[in-house]
Amino acid sequence: MARILVTDDALFMRMQLKDILSKLGHEVVGEAENGLDAVNKVKELQPDVITMDITMPEMDGVQAVREIKKFNSTAKVIMCSAMGQQNMVLDAIQAGASDFIVKPFSADRVQEALEKVLG
Amino acid sequence: MVETENSKSITLLLNGTISSLKSVIPLEHEFSRPTRVMDKLSLPYGVLIGITGDVKGQLIFSGESAVFGSIGEVMFGMPLEGEMLTSFSGELGNMIAGGLATNIGGHGIQVDITPPTIMEGHTTLSGYKKAIHIDMHYPSDRQLGVYFLLN
Repeated sequence: MARILVTDDALFMRMQLKDILSKLGHEVVGEAENGLDAVNKVKELQPDVITMDITMPEMDGVQAVREIKKFNSTAKVIMCSAMGQQNMVLDAIQAGASDFIVKPFSADRVQEALEKVLG
Repeated sequence: MVETENSKSITLLLNGTISSLKSVIPLEHEFSRPTRVMDKLSLPYGVLIGITGDVKGQLIFSGESAVFGSIGEVMFGMPLEGEMLTSFSGELGNMIAGGLATNIGGHGIQVDITPPTIMEGHTTLSGYKKAIHIDMHYPSDRQLGVYFLLN
């Protein structure tokens, strides 16, 4: 079981991800509404895995990954975004993301990503 | 030449959006022919996504709030209302516009999208240079209007 921080500006997506992650047997230790919120909550909660949307107010998800990697270079981040263009995926991976899920996603795809990052 | 390029971009935008709608909303559907909007837009409820990059404008999905609610119920198996319906509506627009950006990116047109703006209550829009409209028809007389406002 992993301790997971869910980051998305949409309440609905946070709820859907929480539901999927709980059913997969993981613990959602916190929710963040934007990239800045996620950076602060990673420091506070030290989750095993972070799910990260990209397009968010305050700080976008790619910038948040860069900030998180500055103080936790081994942080495991799974991007969950509606934006699946090649350059977006490359930016996220270059910033330090471990995997990239395109919305809308299935529980199977979330599980696959978690198995990959948790080794 | 410029007009030809614009027409090509608009065609890719329309096709990319319809393709994205088909993949995001798992419902049987028909869609109307694209029409040019000459007047102000009058919308009962909807979501607006800004498009920046090689093509600039706004993408709007509009319909009765119950249509968004029923799409959410089909996609996620639960009825949606209140704050959750508002959030879902924004996310639906985000997913469709994100799919559009991905689709047209494959044709060499790079765009980014803004976070969604929800229009609750009756909204009238004007001041755009060019607007194109298509209607998506779903079972049980559910209809979703799709508008491209191009700058």
